[in-house]
Amino acid sequence: MKNGTVDLHIKDGRQEAEKVRTPFLEFWRKFKKQRIAMIAAFFIGFLFIVALLGPFIAPYSAVEPDYENILSSPSMQHLAGTDAFGRDIFSRIIEGTRISLFVGLSSVFFSAVLGTILGLVSGYYGGWLDNMIMRICDVLFAFPGILLAIGIIAILGPGLGNVVIAVAIFGIPTFARIVRSSTLSIKETLYVESARSVGASAKRIIFKHIFPSTLSSIIVYFTMRIGTAILTAASLSFLGLGAQPPSPEWGAMLSAGRDFLNTAPHVTFFPGLSIFITVLAFNLLGDGLRDALDPKMKD
Amino acid sequence: MFKKRCLFVWLTSLLAVLLVLAGCSGSTSKEPNPSKNANPKNQSLAKKEGNSLTIAIKDNLVSMDPQDTNDTLSGSIQSTMLEGLVGFDKDMKMIPVLAESYKASKDAKEITFNLRKGIKFHDGAPFNAKAVKVNIDRVANPDNKLKRYSMFELVEKTEAIDDYTFKVTLKKPFGAMLNNFAHPAARIMSPKAIKKYGKDVATHPVGTGPFKFSEWDQSDHLTVVKNPDYWQAGLPKVDDIKFKPVPENGARVAMLQTGEADFIYPIPTEQAAQINGKNGIVVENKPSIVARYMSMNTTKKPFNDVRVRQAINYAINKEAFLKVVYRGYGSEMDSIIPEGLQFYSKQTPYPYDLEKAKKLLKEAGYENGFETKVWGANNSDAMKAMEFIQQQLSQVGIKVNVVPMESGTLSDKIWSVQNAKDAEVELYYGGWSSSTGDADWGIRPLLAGDSAPPTSYNVSYYENKKVDELIDAGLQTADQEKRKEAYAEMQEIIWKDAPWAYLMVEDTMAGKKNYLEGVYLLPDGALSASEAEIKR
Repeated sequence: MKNGTVDLHIKDGRQEAEKVRTPFLEFWRKFKKQRIAMIAAFFIGFLFIVALLGPFIAPYSAVEPDYENILSSPSMQHLAGTDAFGRDIFSRIIEGTRISLFVGLSSVFFSAVLGTILGLVSGYYGGWLDNMIMRICDVLFAFPGILLAIGIIAILGPGLGNVVIAVAIFGIPTFARIVRSSTLSIKETLYVESARSVGASAKRIIFKHIFPSTLSSIIVYFTMRIGTAILTAASLSFLGLGAQPPSPEWGAMLSAGRDFLNTAPHVTFFPGLSIFITVLAFNLLGDGLRDALDPKMKD
Repeated sequence: MFKKRCLFVWLTSLLAVLLVLAGCSGSTSKEPNPSKNANPKNQSLAKKEGNSLTIAIKDNLVSMDPQDTNDTLSGSIQSTMLEGLVGFDKDMKMIPVLAESYKASKDAKEITFNLRKGIKFHDGAPFNAKAVKVNIDRVANPDNKLKRYSMFELVEKTEAIDDYTFKVTLKKPFGAMLNNFAHPAARIMSPKAIKKYGKDVATHPVGTGPFKFSEWDQSDHLTVVKNPDYWQAGLPKVDDIKFKPVPENGARVAMLQTGEADFIYPIPTEQAAQINGKNGIVVENKPSIVARYMSMNTTKKPFNDVRVRQAINYAINKEAFLKVVYRGYGSEMDSIIPEGLQFYSKQTPYPYDLEKAKKLLKEAGYENGFETKVWGANNSDAMKAMEFIQQQLSQVGIKVNVVPMESGTLSDKIWSVQNAKDAEVELYYGGWSSSTGDADWGIRPLLAGDSAPPTSYNVSYYENKKVDELIDAGLQTADQEKRKEAYAEMQEIIWKDAPWAYLMVEDTMAGKKNYLEGVYLLPDGALSASEAEIKR
């Protein structure tokens, strides 16, 4: 990018005094050049604000029906129209933001924590432990993700809490694998070896020396994963296994609107659009993060 | 980087286009209103080539053995090939078919049929009293393990008095027996075919009807062809009919729009108003005998208090229910059985009155409401209905959790419960269609004291001595006046006891091309295609 290099020159000129660049600054320098990822990041920030303020900014209640106004098309009163019970779809989407972000973040958080621990342990110790963990992961990989989630829901019963668990479980093996492969290469590096030679404990080496270096790949995958998690949670709700009425979960809203695809497309369009944009934003952000965090990518 | 910028531009423009599209399509969708359709009768006749019909139906066909069928749809297809001694006309009034006349004895224990002469089955076997006896003996024999055995278990003796007189004697008086003979289960098959095919008559139906069985590809369709020797003059009027199961609503509607199907059933209520009157399509909706209600477990707190049950009836806006859940295609329930059933007697509906509901709840000691759960099927109509009930009852402080279940789970949790004490069910959203057309089958299986699961379908575990007496009284005589009185009193008592929240009676919904005549739905949802005719 032509403009980019020009910018850089100016900046470099101004920042002559700066001697050491912290990893964060280095990251920020690369990241802010990626316009799409920046837009995605701003959008996600905006989503969080919406999720926090939810009920205060929604023009109508998300659960209050209005039988005089069922399935009315988008208008100034109802920006995204109303659903089969006369509820304002725009307000429901706003309140649903909280649910989707909560499900996405919490489930990925759980799978990241568990997967990272498993990956570190398995990569560092190797041997039969590594074998066992990786074979279990292979078994989980063999299931199509959504099918595994449905299976878990079938055992636990429907409900949003169980969706979080289901989505979390099927995210674990990928995290474990990613972290394991970075661990394998990092544990051979000189600084780990020297730490070991001065007698650092295994726990200290794993968490103090290896874990920080795996962090960048975890962050990238974490972000990308949120999109998938939101999508899977929405799919489960669409199938009637997730959020239960009258919850304004986006997937459940899609499901309720599918009978009106021909007659009132706005009932499915807006929740669908919300899922689409949100998942896209997380994926683009993840893309940008990868480009910024990967040391092999030079500008 | 260049690629990404491209992607960005693309996505933004895609979004813009989608938004505009949504705006456009949104503005054309209007509140469908069944009563305000542009008159679909004024369309010119749609074009039709050939003299063959295709009828798209919702579910797969199960069996062509009427005595071993308990789904209405399979029974409907059988009706083009097989006929009974008596049957129902368009409005479910009983008419003689293969019998010329019939007579029931005063004590409701004997029925004598005089049969029509000169009729032959499709395989050439003559139709006579012996043929009828073979059929009825077959279904009434418990060893044959046929699904419709229960309808004929009261048969003690069948006699072919002469070639064309058939008499049946019952073990005990049963005033509604004639209705069981009009039920699809009592259609007569050729005795020759029963002997030849044994259990396999289920795939080789041979009867006396206007159409003969041609082929049944279980993965795709079932075809019947014209019976040139049919006994009723002037029928059949089309060469063949192909019945094609198409489970997806949208696909079925599309088939009607493109002309691939001439008649589809059912048509989803959401789309009915939209396609009616276009492309030569006519949507026909008529009152059915399918009642929709929510039963309450009368043995469980708080539903053991009649005031709570009445309060729930007052708290639900039935008019809005009809509009929201069924797009207005139906009518408010005004007795425990729909108007289409024999001995129906109109009651005063519980008006939508929140004040009264709150007052009743207060009297019963539930001023602050309570929490409960409603169970029901997981199809979209049932889920919408349950969500609606949830909204309505929240107005009087009752918090309802909606629990949709798939049919296997429902049957485990409701219909297979061995003991009333173990029943977890509190509220259950369901429906009932009495396909014998008689009040008895619309009440006894659902509300008699000894009909609780697993025996029958009394999910409200309702028991009222007086009602049970009246149910017996209604069955022990064939005197129509006495039966009428018993059923009238019974309906009044149960209506006040409110073991159900009374909701609505569905409409039957079918779509057809306007050149098609003579294909219609009976109030129980069964399809009649025997008189099909293509107008030119």
